[in-house]
Amino acid sequence: MKNVILYTFVCATLLSPVARGESLFGILKGAETLPKDALEVIQHVTKRYDKGQGTYEAVDTKTELEYGITDRATGAVYLLGQSIRTEGLKINGYLPKDEAYGLRASGVEASIKYNFLSPAKDDFGLSSYFATSYSWLDPHSGQDKKKLTFELELLMQKYFLDGELTWAGNVGMESTMAKRGALADLPADFEWSTDPEMEIGFRAGTGLSYRFAPNWFAGGEIVYETEFETEVGQERRSVQAGPTLHYGSKDWWLSVSYLPQISGGGEMYDNQADGNLHLIEKTKQEIRVKVGFEF
Amino acid sequence: MSNHNWLMIPALIIPAALPAPACAVQYLTLEQAQQALFPWAAQFVRADVLITQEMKQRIEKSSGVRVRNTMQQVWRAGGGGKELGWFVLDEVIGKHEFITYAVALLPDGTVKGIDILDYRETHGSQIKNEKWRAQFVGKREGDAFRLDEDIKNISGATLSCNNITNGVKRIVATYREVMK
Repeated sequence: MKNVILYTFVCATLLSPVARGESLFGILKGAETLPKDALEVIQHVTKRYDKGQGTYEAVDTKTELEYGITDRATGAVYLLGQSIRTEGLKINGYLPKDEAYGLRASGVEASIKYNFLSPAKDDFGLSSYFATSYSWLDPHSGQDKKKLTFELELLMQKYFLDGELTWAGNVGMESTMAKRGALADLPADFEWSTDPEMEIGFRAGTGLSYRFAPNWFAGGEIVYETEFETEVGQERRSVQAGPTLHYGSKDWWLSVSYLPQISGGGEMYDNQADGNLHLIEKTKQEIRVKVGFEF
Repeated sequence: MSNHNWLMIPALIIPAALPAPACAVQYLTLEQAQQALFPWAAQFVRADVLITQEMKQRIEKSSGVRVRNTMQQVWRAGGGGKELGWFVLDEVIGKHEFITYAVALLPDGTVKGIDILDYRETHGSQIKNEKWRAQFVGKREGDAFRLDEDIKNISGATLSCNNITNGVKRIVATYREVMK
């Protein structure tokens, strides 16, 4: 808990006044870029919880510094963090033991977004997004895992009703190279591979957000994700959908999203009660909070 | 971390933003805008226009821009026994809030000038600059009113620029359909 407060205090102090930006959705990204030389800081906090058995709670944090390199290109760097509490659920090959720790730095990331078409000027917005990250903690089990990820997405956006209604659509893929750290004291029959693994994932999502009052937006999104892995083929697939409430002003903005998993499949753990969800790497519930400040 | 401790993160960050300066930036009052756009006017006579459904359709058809409000706030500017033109107060949607601006029309419907009364968005304060506003001077019906064609865009405020440009286009069409 101390770590969380300290980390937050440092962020809050660094961020202080002057703000804004725009993230109308929890997972989906818009196609707009920052103007040249604009600087934005965004704090992302995601809480994932409930695997249907035992106790599972994880919090992912992402502190993002975004900069307008040109009017069309926005670069960003991120510091990733996570905390986890898992108890009473062991999943062979994935979740080896109970684990609990507070917020720890877990990785770094960098991204670049390039805008081809502006949603306000060209009627239809289109951008490409490329990100790469290196992390050393597994977000699912909380154990040591070195992971290098490359992500590429196409971001689409369209305004309706003079900008009161915003549509966004994203399609993308992610490739990952990972290697777990060894664990001592595991049962003899517990599988915990420390061989390098490769994964490739795909994501597609769409959402709508409506400005129902000055500064206030309400919307919803639906996101499909799937991941393939060398050994098991399609390791998982899931659909998350839910609402986002967004407040945006001249100086800062805030988005709160509730994104439960509504359907899923692929690998399941033994005795999993929910047969239509993927609960090994995903959870039943997810809440995302983002707050952005502009300098 | 216990159940809801993670909420401490946004809970501590959000208050850090609250002491930020108040958002509203009122550049001009109504009277100041009237004076700026018609410095020689001795009086402004209220002449609001109620836009009927039929008028709305005609304006939308000729301008290609949606009419959001059916009551248009208008003043006739006069001075020295002459009619100097029309002062039209309007609002368009910005990224987050409404942008309040005024359009001055000459008696023949040509744009004499525009000015910004309220602008509350993060980027695009250059909208207030005389050079950007001057692009509308002399515009009349039939002109393109398109960003990066006859009106320059301001990066980071494209939606606001686009909506103001469309708003002026709609007011020029309103003049022809209703006020002429």
